[in-house]
Amino acid sequence: MAKKAAKIGRYKILGELGRGAMGIVYKASDPNLDRVVALKTILLEPDAEGRDEYHKRFILEAKAAGKLNHPNIVTTFDCGDHDGVAYLAMELVEGTDLRTRITSEGATALEAVEIARQVAEGLAYAHDRGIVHRDIKPANIMLTGQGQAKIMDFGLARVRMADHKTSTGMVLGTPRYMSPEQISGQPVDARSDIFSLGIVLYEMLTGTRLFSGEDIHQVTHSITQVEHVPPTRTVPGLPAMLDFVVARALKKEPAVRYQTAHELAADLSTCLAELRSREHASEASADASKTVKLDALAKAPEAPLARAIAVDTRLPLARFLDSSAALKSIRAASRAELARAPRPVGWLRRISSDAAPRQLFLLALFAGIASAFVVLA
Amino acid sequence: MVASVVFLKIGEFARRPASEQARLRAQLEAVIAVTAAELPPAGRVVLEASDGAAVVVFRDPIGALRLAERALTAGAAGLPLCAGLNHGALQLTGNKGAEAMTGDGIAVAASVAEFAGSSRLLASRAFREALADAAPGREASLARAGTFTDAGLRTHELFAPDGRALRRRQMRYSLAGIVLVAAFIGAGIGWRALDGERKPFGSAMIAKYPEVPAYLRELVQRVSY
Repeated sequence: MAKKAAKIGRYKILGELGRGAMGIVYKASDPNLDRVVALKTILLEPDAEGRDEYHKRFILEAKAAGKLNHPNIVTTFDCGDHDGVAYLAMELVEGTDLRTRITSEGATALEAVEIARQVAEGLAYAHDRGIVHRDIKPANIMLTGQGQAKIMDFGLARVRMADHKTSTGMVLGTPRYMSPEQISGQPVDARSDIFSLGIVLYEMLTGTRLFSGEDIHQVTHSITQVEHVPPTRTVPGLPAMLDFVVARALKKEPAVRYQTAHELAADLSTCLAELRSREHASEASADASKTVKLDALAKAPEAPLARAIAVDTRLPLARFLDSSAALKSIRAASRAELARAPRPVGWLRRISSDAAPRQLFLLALFAGIASAFVVLA
Repeated sequence: MVASVVFLKIGEFARRPASEQARLRAQLEAVIAVTAAELPPAGRVVLEASDGAAVVVFRDPIGALRLAERALTAGAAGLPLCAGLNHGALQLTGNKGAEAMTGDGIAVAASVAEFAGSSRLLASRAFREALADAAPGREASLARAGTFTDAGLRTHELFAPDGRALRRRQMRYSLAGIVLVAAFIGAGIGWRALDGERKPFGSAMIAKYPEVPAYLRELVQRVSY
């Protein structure tokens, strides 16, 4: 329809950039300002009542998103509707989205942390203004050629979800990147975006999908119940601090998660500094080149499972202290010996091993003999 | 298996920035490396928890208590630790090279540590009983500190170290000994006094041992009933 019209509102369509569940994204030209924009179209409800409601919500969210002006957020210029299609004119970002990047070439640890830090900065800016994204996922993060990350589609998730919930009572969106509270249909706040960013960071670092499942129920179960394996276990060379950052971002309970994206960005900056210093160190050691033989049998030490926290009592062996001698002795010991529970201490044992009762017993014995002597003498 | 568990928890760990978490964990590892060195390597297993660490000590509750007490002194060096001690069932799980431990012994120790609060050590009744079994009398150093109900609605009786508890116990036993001696001898004398046919004990002794010095003889006659 739009293509046929070749114009949406005042925007002249130059080409198609992509298609999504909500509509089509076009490359368009704004004749008023003579600039090229990305025009996102959203199909409105066919019935008049639903369309009005949807339209109102869309305008409200677009206005809120339009107030966001940050280097890590795709700027929204304009919004409107044309022939039953709502549209959003946004800054055109030349580059690829993070999903394409992860699936095609992946990201190094340094790049992953840098992207996550930039996204956290952008989120912090929006959260400070009371705007929650609700759909942070790799496909909504654009990467420019200069290595800048930009968050797209602020507020659109809310429009979409609210609409879908009213019609079917179900949650729509991208379940694999939702926080436990979001997927359970509870109210969400900025901390929900932090959880979603935690998933994105995890996937960038490890190259593996964190929460997956064949259907929504399995995904829901994974998000709400299953604890992640720390990134250093999958990629042993990562700084240990990233385990803490990811674990904190992915806490199921929002109260113990990062409370603001500023905190997350600050921790990611520290990780970034460590990664950069490592990179410099490895460059320096590469300059003074020397050949080392790697032990093929040597295994990287394993990080503790994040599930070893809070509810679960399964704790992995510590890496910093060798427990192999104890394990050997456990395996060698008999079952009865290992299962021996403490015995109650009887009087005889008490008298023979405990000084104070022994003293009392001896005094009582002496007193008894003395008393008998007094009586019988 | 059954063993003692020392759960060392870093206070407010989850709420700290990740850089501080990494620093505190490194500090905790150093503390455990030093304190666990006192135990034979075959007698202890160190486990990692998200907000601290657990040391499983086999057949040595005294060593476990000492380790916890020594680790807590690290609090003075800026490591906000609290400790929970328990003696309970554990199970070794996982394949070789990826072993882990699980069980109620750890769960209760973790709950007790959670309840302990900063720079405090609390022990469960099971641990106190294990301590009594290992060294009868030593359990008195853990004085009753109250009860608490954990998230699983289990009530735990808790004990905290009390430096003066052993001395107080010793004094109580000494006093009881003195009272007992006095009571026994008093009862013997009373019994003899009630028996009219017999001479008083003092007089009978003087009669039996005539070589008793005169001043003692005089004293006995004065106090004689």
